[in-house]
Amino acid sequence: MVMKTALSCHLWGGVGGHGSLELGRWPSLSLSSQGLEEGISQITSKSQDARRALVWNFPIDVTFKSTNPYGWPQIVLSVYGPDVFGNDVVRGYGAVHVPLSPGRHKKTIPMFVPESTSKLQKFTSWFMGRRPEYTDPKVVAQGEGREVTRVRSQGFVTLLFNVVTKDMRKLGYDTGPPDTQGVSGPSPPQGLPR
Amino acid sequence: MAEVHVIGQIMGATGFSESSLFCKWGVHTGPESFVISLVDRLVAEIPWEVGILQLSEKDKPGINSVSSALPLICSVTLGKRCSLSEPQFPSSIRKSWAAWKLLSGVREGQTQVDTPQIGDMAYWSHPIDLHFATKGLQGWPRLHLQVWSQDSFGRCQLAGYGFCHVPSSPGTHQLDCPTWRPLGSWREQLARAFVGGGPQLLHGDAIYSGADRYRLHTTSGGTVHLELSLLLRHFDRYGVEC
Repeated sequence: MVMKTALSCHLWGGVGGHGSLELGRWPSLSLSSQGLEEGISQITSKSQDARRALVWNFPIDVTFKSTNPYGWPQIVLSVYGPDVFGNDVVRGYGAVHVPLSPGRHKKTIPMFVPESTSKLQKFTSWFMGRRPEYTDPKVVAQGEGREVTRVRSQGFVTLLFNVVTKDMRKLGYDTGPPDTQGVSGPSPPQGLPR
Repeated sequence: MAEVHVIGQIMGATGFSESSLFCKWGVHTGPESFVISLVDRLVAEIPWEVGILQLSEKDKPGINSVSSALPLICSVTLGKRCSLSEPQFPSSIRKSWAAWKLLSGVREGQTQVDTPQIGDMAYWSHPIDLHFATKGLQGWPRLHLQVWSQDSFGRCQLAGYGFCHVPSSPGTHQLDCPTWRPLGSWREQLARAFVGGGPQLLHGDAIYSGADRYRLHTTSGGTVHLELSLLLRHFDRYGVEC
């Protein structure tokens, strides 16, 4: 496997699901400069200690408003990094729903990369530095159209959420007990920070 | 009407012997369809478009020779097959079919094909976002899954069937759904090991219904991992505690 030493990450906080038909488009409420729905992190390298951790520590602060929980927002991540030849190639896509219940949540999500079907294409794309990519990374947040894609899962990204909801109980929604244990999702392999 | 939101992901699968896996999933609500094998063959050959309430014993060609102790058969105008042995089933089936309604979201789908590079878990991260309205608790939605493997030539082979009920309490749940696959005769097992293929279920409803399972001889497959969050609305108005 190629050693990943430096990575940059594009963070999209936004709506999942497919385009114009659904009622669940959630417009972002906050107009301040911190209420961004998209962001690009810094480029980070692996640490020199035994953990070999990649840390972005990227802040996300966004508010959504809706009348219907359908189309609950998802965070879509795209991770890029240089390959052996120095080209910036995609290292993984991943998506996760913002947690539904208020509280503090830690999620570790798997990242995967589209794969070429034939061996010749794999070699050509590795050599030329043009790996298969999604034209619109938000495809990862949808279910439709993914049955024809072949991917390779490699790596995990950990996200920490603090969620606050307003008026859900007033409208009759029950989100269940607050989930503040802090760890959910697949456990990362050793060496990644918890 | 009470509402149920199911929001979550099919995370991935572990424990399968093959590595490039994908999953076909679907959600079934409403009553179980008890398909009796003899009747099943009859139904398959005689397509009926009869509406539920107009059905009576004499209307069913080919059934008059069968003992009247057999349950009534009907087909909903959409072509689904079902049979129930309740005496007043026309009205009850109409009630239970109408109990759960999908307001938004797709009821079924297929994930991507994933080949894991680290570890043995195949990750799909397939989003599920469903919005149901319901008048009753019967027929609580079941999520049924079929895991298939795809080799480098593009051939698909069944790896396992599984189902789990959508959780009934609000909050976030981690679900582990075990799977099984039908085992054929020793010849079929040998052929599957060398050439691939193997027996599959003809009708997918055996995955989530209990009827007629006694005929199946199966072996276990791996486990599918899901994370589902449930949001319930107005259940306390109807006195339902969950």
